[in-house]
Amino acid sequence: MGGLRPCDSHECSQLNELKIDMAALNMLSGWSQNGDTIMIEQMPIFGGYCGGVEETTICDIATTLASFTMFQGNFHLDGPIHIRWGITTARETLQIAGHAAAAIDANTDLLIANQYYPIAGPCTEMCLLETAAQAIVDTASGREMLSGSAAAKGVAMDKTTGMEARIMGEAAIATCGKKISEINGILEKLISSYEKNYHKPPAGKRFQECYDVKTVMPTDEYLQIYDKAVETLNGFGLGIK
Amino acid sequence: MAPARALTIFDVYERFTKGKKVTEAEWDYQIIPTNAAAMKDKYKIKFGKEMIPEDKDMKNRLFQAGMDMLVTTGFYNCDLGRVMNVTEEEVWDGIKKTPKWLLLGEGKDAARFDPRHGNDARKPIIQGGPTGAPVSEEVFVQVMQSYAQEAVVDTLVNGVMATIEGHSAKTNTPWEIKAELAELRAVREARIRAGRPNMAI
Repeated sequence: MGGLRPCDSHECSQLNELKIDMAALNMLSGWSQNGDTIMIEQMPIFGGYCGGVEETTICDIATTLASFTMFQGNFHLDGPIHIRWGITTARETLQIAGHAAAAIDANTDLLIANQYYPIAGPCTEMCLLETAAQAIVDTASGREMLSGSAAAKGVAMDKTTGMEARIMGEAAIATCGKKISEINGILEKLISSYEKNYHKPPAGKRFQECYDVKTVMPTDEYLQIYDKAVETLNGFGLGIK
Repeated sequence: MAPARALTIFDVYERFTKGKKVTEAEWDYQIIPTNAAAMKDKYKIKFGKEMIPEDKDMKNRLFQAGMDMLVTTGFYNCDLGRVMNVTEEEVWDGIKKTPKWLLLGEGKDAARFDPRHGNDARKPIIQGGPTGAPVSEEVFVQVMQSYAQEAVVDTLVNGVMATIEGHSAKTNTPWEIKAELAELRAVREARIRAGRPNMAI
C-alpha cells in the first residue's frame, strides 16, 4: 500500500515567480487538515522574470517567507536555477542561494533546504566538484537541509547515484565551523576550476554503469574518481577526512 | 494592525478570490521585474564577489527587501488570475506558527531537523536521492538503495519512476498515480535493503 507517515514530507511547488495554482492549494488543504509535514519548493530563475542576482535573491527571500505565511509549509526547499545552463551549481545561482540563506538565517529560525542540479553526469570529477561547491555554500550560509543530487541537470534517465550524495554530505561536514572568509576563498578556487566547462560538460554514466546492479556496490572506477575529487577539494583547503 | 490570526490555506483561498485581477503576462513581465528592481534600489542591495555575505547590515537589508517584496507585491494565483496580499505582521505570525524543529523518520532512523545558525558546527540534514530526476522502473529500488546505504545520508528524496508496467507515468493520468504509489513502495524496499527501514521520505 502507498501513503506517507506524518514524519515523512509532502512536497508542493510554487510557480515562477511569486505564483501558485489551484492544484497546489487543493493539495495543501488536505495535507494541512491531516497534520502532514509539508515542504514547499520554489526554484527562482536567475535571468528570468526577476532579472539579475540581487533581484532574484530578493524574490527568493519573498517566496521563502510566503511558504510559511501562506502555504502552511514546515520547511522550504530552495533551488535558484540558471536560465542558460539549467543548473543550481553556477556561480550566480550559488551566490543567490548563499545570500538568501544568510539573510533568512540572520533574521529567523526557519528551516530551509536547497536542492542540487549539477550540469555534469555521474562518475565524473566535475559532477562531484559542482555538488561539493553547493554543499559548501548551503552549509556555511546556515541551511538546515541539503537535498540531492540530480546530476546531469536532473533530466537524463538513470544519471543519479548515491555517490553524489556522499560528496554532498562529506563536503558539508568538512565545511561546518569554518570561517566564512575562508569558505569564500575555497569557493572562489573551486568554482573557477569547473565553470569553464559548461559548454561541454562530461555526460557521465548511467547508474547501471556506475554500480553493480545486483550488489548495489559502486564500481572501482567511480571510487577512484571520488578519491580524486576529494584530493582536489582538499587541495583547495576543504579538509575532507 | 495586529493580524486577526495566522493565515490558513482556506483564508488564503478566500483572499485570492477577492483579490485584484491581473493578467499573467502583466504579472510576469511588469510587476515582478519592476518591484524586484525597486526593492534592490530602496534597500541599496549590491553584491560583491563573495558567495556568502559577512556584512550583518547587508544581510538585514536583504531580508527586509525580501519581506517588502512579498508585502508590496503579493502573490498571484494563475488559475484565478488574481493577486492576494499579506501584511508584514501576518508574515511574522506565519513564522511564529511554524514548528522550530521537526523529527523526520522514526526510531533509530529518525533525523532531528533543528535550526542551524551561520556556519554552525552541526552538520545539516543530508537528504539523498535523485530529487525528481527520471529513473527506470527496473532499477528504481537499487538507485534509491544506493542513497539509503550511504553513511552520511539521513533522509531520502525520490526520483521519478519513468514508467509503470511499461506505461509512461504521464501527468494527469491514472498511470501517474499508480507510478507514484509504486515509487513509495520501492523506496520502502530500498530502505529495508539498506537496513534503515524507518528513514524519512
